Amino acid sequence: MTEEVSKADKVVEIPMTVEIPVGPQHPAVHEPILIKVYAEGEYVVKAEAYTGYNHRGVEKLAEKKTFYQDIFLCGRVCGICNTVHADCYVRALEHILNKEPPPRAKYLRTLAMELERLHSHMLILAVTAEIVGFDTLFMHMMRDRELIMKAKEIVTGNRVLADYIMVGGVRRDLNSEKIDKLKKILTKVEPRIRYYWRVFEEDVTLNKRLVEVGRLTPAQVTSHGLLGPVARASGVATDSRYHDAYDAYAEVPFRIVTRKEGDCMARSLVRFEEMQVSLEICRYILNHLPEGEAVPDERRLPRRFPEGEAFTTVEAPRGELTYYVMSKGGVNPYRVKIRTPSYNNIINTVPFYVGHMIADVPAILASYDPCISCMERVVVIDLRKGIRKKVSMRDLAKGEA
Amino acid sequence: MSSDPLEIPDVLKPIENLLKGVMIMKPGRIVALLEPGDVVKAYAALKARYGETGLYFSTLVATDLKDEGKIRIDYYINVLEKNQYVVLRTYVPRDDPRIESLLKEAPAALPGECEAYDLLGVVFEGNPHLRRAFFVPEEVAEKGIFPLRKDAGV
Repeated sequence: MTEEVSKADKVVEIPMTVEIPVGPQHPAVHEPILIKVYAEGEYVVKAEAYTGYNHRGVEKLAEKKTFYQDIFLCGRVCGICNTVHADCYVRALEHILNKEPPPRAKYLRTLAMELERLHSHMLILAVTAEIVGFDTLFMHMMRDRELIMKAKEIVTGNRVLADYIMVGGVRRDLNSEKIDKLKKILTKVEPRIRYYWRVFEEDVTLNKRLVEVGRLTPAQVTSHGLLGPVARASGVATDSRYHDAYDAYAEVPFRIVTRKEGDCMARSLVRFEEMQVSLEICRYILNHLPEGEAVPDERRLPRRFPEGEAFTTVEAPRGELTYYVMSKGGVNPYRVKIRTPSYNNIINTVPFYVGHMIADVPAILASYDPCISCMERVVVIDLRKGIRKKVSMRDLAKGEA
Repeated sequence: MSSDPLEIPDVLKPIENLLKGVMIMKPGRIVALLEPGDVVKAYAALKARYGETGLYFSTLVATDLKDEGKIRIDYYINVLEKNQYVVLRTYVPRDDPRIESLLKEAPAALPGECEAYDLLGVVFEGNPHLRRAFFVPEEVAEKGIFPLRKDAGV
């Protein structure tokens, strides 16, 4: 044995770089995207994004459908935040038509969108807990999220896909009985959110997995166009509700939640504080709902649209969502461009995985929303010459090492 | 949309010398018309004036204007300091749509440029990440179809 070792002139160390495909189907990925992570040891040295697994051609389809059919199409771009998509698209149509919805409808739209923010934030915070291994917290949060889903059903008539927004208003109005029910739900859910907030702040495991992980600087946020809670957790005060003051946000008091830390924990805590703000907004709306009509007569809406273009934004739960609608007159839009917040937040953050540990990748991805390996490179050490060199598996197979 | 070439809004002062016209897009977005070669310069000038954390690149919208033989490219920039959306608008010929990539000034333009290349065939020179089938299914990309072109037949 000793003789054999002394005869050896090469040592092959494998693996040095491991390619870990995270997605397109993965427990931590809610949308089909492939993030290829290259790791040396436990640390990420390179990351790449591969998209297109779920491209449905919505923008092209929108050109073929009428302006009104597209409201339902846009609502189906995202299951979680369908109301914000419909609101953003409908407001673009209203700008082209020079139409202003009544105040009561604006307040009701705001209420539906804030309920959506509440259940979306609860979902991603629950998923964050699940990804770091705290499944019980996930289950509890998802249970209490159902209360918000119920509230959304009371307002819009449906717990998920609302189809609530229409040109010139909303589809359903609220009566005093429904307002009382909604207030009761908000009273019930608030202490639960405060409790989960405290769990995130105090739990040792969550702190170990989330604090000082995936830190982003304000300059990284703005140069890479990162949006929503991801930007605000790094101290960049960007919020479309403030920039555009659409719907009732010009009248409803609210504050932009920011933190300075810029890590995964900061992004989670921003979401918790935003839920608190959303609850306050919902309560304000229920107590100050303007009188008047909210549901327009659909038969009086114009079938044909004038020429024009509009660029609208909404603060979706994940950040700024933008719609560009162009009309050349007629019944179909000439161009509809949808830019979702995840589009920026997921693709543009790929370089920031470098330097982190593999185990942190799902936690980071969950904080802005990741498989198994095939070895790519090996290191060959020439013991006689004392040289280390990296070669590809292909070259090794060819005997060129 | 209204056009007023005489009045240059404050937010566009840093790129005053590059402007070919100013328009307003609803609701209240300031559209700066530029030559294709001036877009990167204009973005760099805005960044120099408002600082790296004073603005961010939001959205890239490319539109096929088949009847005019052009492709219009709009760069939407949110100037946080002024709380104002600015649109840098330029046109490139439809038969050879080429423009300098904004990546070196704004890494945020990456998905927008990749998408505009994949769906409309606009070449962003200097962007090494352009590839077909970024979003479009491979069988469509292999046929050389750009789906968002008006004559794509999809």
